Amino acid sequence: MQTLHSSQSARPFKLRKSFATRLEEVAGIRAKFPTKVPVIVERYQKEKYLPLLDKTKFLVPQELTMTQFITIIRSRMALNATQAFYLLVNNKSLASMTLTLAEVYRDYKDEDGFVYMTYASQEMFGCFVPPPQGNVMECLLRT
Amino acid sequence: FSPATLTYDTLRFEYEDFPETKEPVWILGRTYSAVTEKEAILLDVTSRLWFTYRRNFPAIGGTGPTSDTGWGCMLRCGQMIFAQALVCRHLGRDWRWVKGEMQTDEYFSVLNAFSDKKDSYYSIHQIAQMGVGEGKSIGQWYGPNTVAQVLKKLAAFDTWSALAVHIAMDNTVVMEEIRRLCKASVSWAGAAAFPGAGPDLVYNGYPDGAEVTDRSLWKPLVLLIPLRLGLTDINEAYIETLKHCFMMPQSLGVIGGKPNSAHYFIGYVGEELVYLDPHTTQPAVDASDSGCIPDESFHCQHPPCRMSIAELDPSIAVGFFCNTEEDFNDWCQQVRKLSLLRGALPMFELVEHQPSHFSSPDVLNLTPDSSDADRLERFFDSEDEDFEILSL
Repeated sequence: MQTLHSSQSARPFKLRKSFATRLEEVAGIRAKFPTKVPVIVERYQKEKYLPLLDKTKFLVPQELTMTQFITIIRSRMALNATQAFYLLVNNKSLASMTLTLAEVYRDYKDEDGFVYMTYASQEMFGCFVPPPQGNVMECLLRT
Repeated sequence: FSPATLTYDTLRFEYEDFPETKEPVWILGRTYSAVTEKEAILLDVTSRLWFTYRRNFPAIGGTGPTSDTGWGCMLRCGQMIFAQALVCRHLGRDWRWVKGEMQTDEYFSVLNAFSDKKDSYYSIHQIAQMGVGEGKSIGQWYGPNTVAQVLKKLAAFDTWSALAVHIAMDNTVVMEEIRRLCKASVSWAGAAAFPGAGPDLVYNGYPDGAEVTDRSLWKPLVLLIPLRLGLTDINEAYIETLKHCFMMPQSLGVIGGKPNSAHYFIGYVGEELVYLDPHTTQPAVDASDSGCIPDESFHCQHPPCRMSIAELDPSIAVGFFCNTEEDFNDWCQQVRKLSLLRGALPMFELVEHQPSHFSSPDVLNLTPDSSDADRLERFFDSEDEDFEILSL
């Protein structure tokens, strides 16, 4: 399990490896496993609540749905059902849960051949500065 | 001038009136003209319950904080969106608050449910203490999902409202789950706990324990959908869909905010969101002996704040209220239509049945149970270089 050298706390996968290396990796693995989709799953750099996964690179059966994939990741992190967990494709979009990985791959794959996903929970809201006495509106203090 | 010199009066000057725009103003499913209906807009906004930071309330847990300034903003936003559900449930969306006018007992019961003392259903005390079970110690910041989860737990004790609260996780709304929740619960909670209570009269005539099969029985639904619409910024492809949420008659608005400050969003105009802001510290208010609460400070009487939609923090929870099954069916209809909208990316998905997770999500629980662990192995069975290879 711990044979993996690359810790997710390091720089993002894309910055750790050159485009050529990534391209080569995809070509190699796709040749070996043509029915599986290469997915990079990384934690959002500012995420404070969700644990790190011990793996970054996943090879996922193309018929798996996003629901199934997210269930696997959630259970790997031992999250309970009420904890917020979002997997954003290309740092932007919540992929539809009924899509298969093959469809996600078709729609979102990077030019290096991987599909990139980032996971995050939700932000928490509060104020750093203890406000002064009285009816002062903090929203204005911040602007 | 320095921030310390700001007073309430100088701030009042800062609240801009609504722009005289031809764009429609949408407030919780109702549309207004900013040109001809300005007063109606303000009356609608003022009628919403406005919960802000308070000071000098009874200490939380007996010895804890007596003010929520600095940490309670998301808890207050949770109260506001839930209060809107209770207003719809007990008073109706068209109910209006007019300063100085006599209000009904139902109104005071709603207000009381949120008052800053330990035994109110949804008080800051109850929310902060119930949050401990969600891993939040008292005084810690909440996210939209945290407060939604806590409110759902607290609603179980509110037999007066007898709400079905559903929180749709993983950006998926499963219709079957909601129907089961709203129909099943009618027979055990609503009817048994409060026979003949006000609007629950519909349950009369059913003997205790009788099987209730009438399709018209439906526990009023509060549907909360916590989402993350981007990492640092909201993905603009969601903006059109977000606006449409405020256009649905079932809208309870959205809780979320700007980084660090939570707001309760009740509508939009053009490219701006309209919101109620909890970031004013007011003194706590005590109920009088008659049970009537001086209530003026619970209504925002200045024009509401506005901000650009693009500034919205991507972590939000969207809320809807469906009083009847027809309301829910209509909501589903509208969500389906929304998915056909060009240029709008759906924020969540509506499905009839639970998408199959290998029969049951329990199969994947990482428990020491050996049979489960064995099954789990199948998904993580081999390694090739440093890929984790998942197999079916």
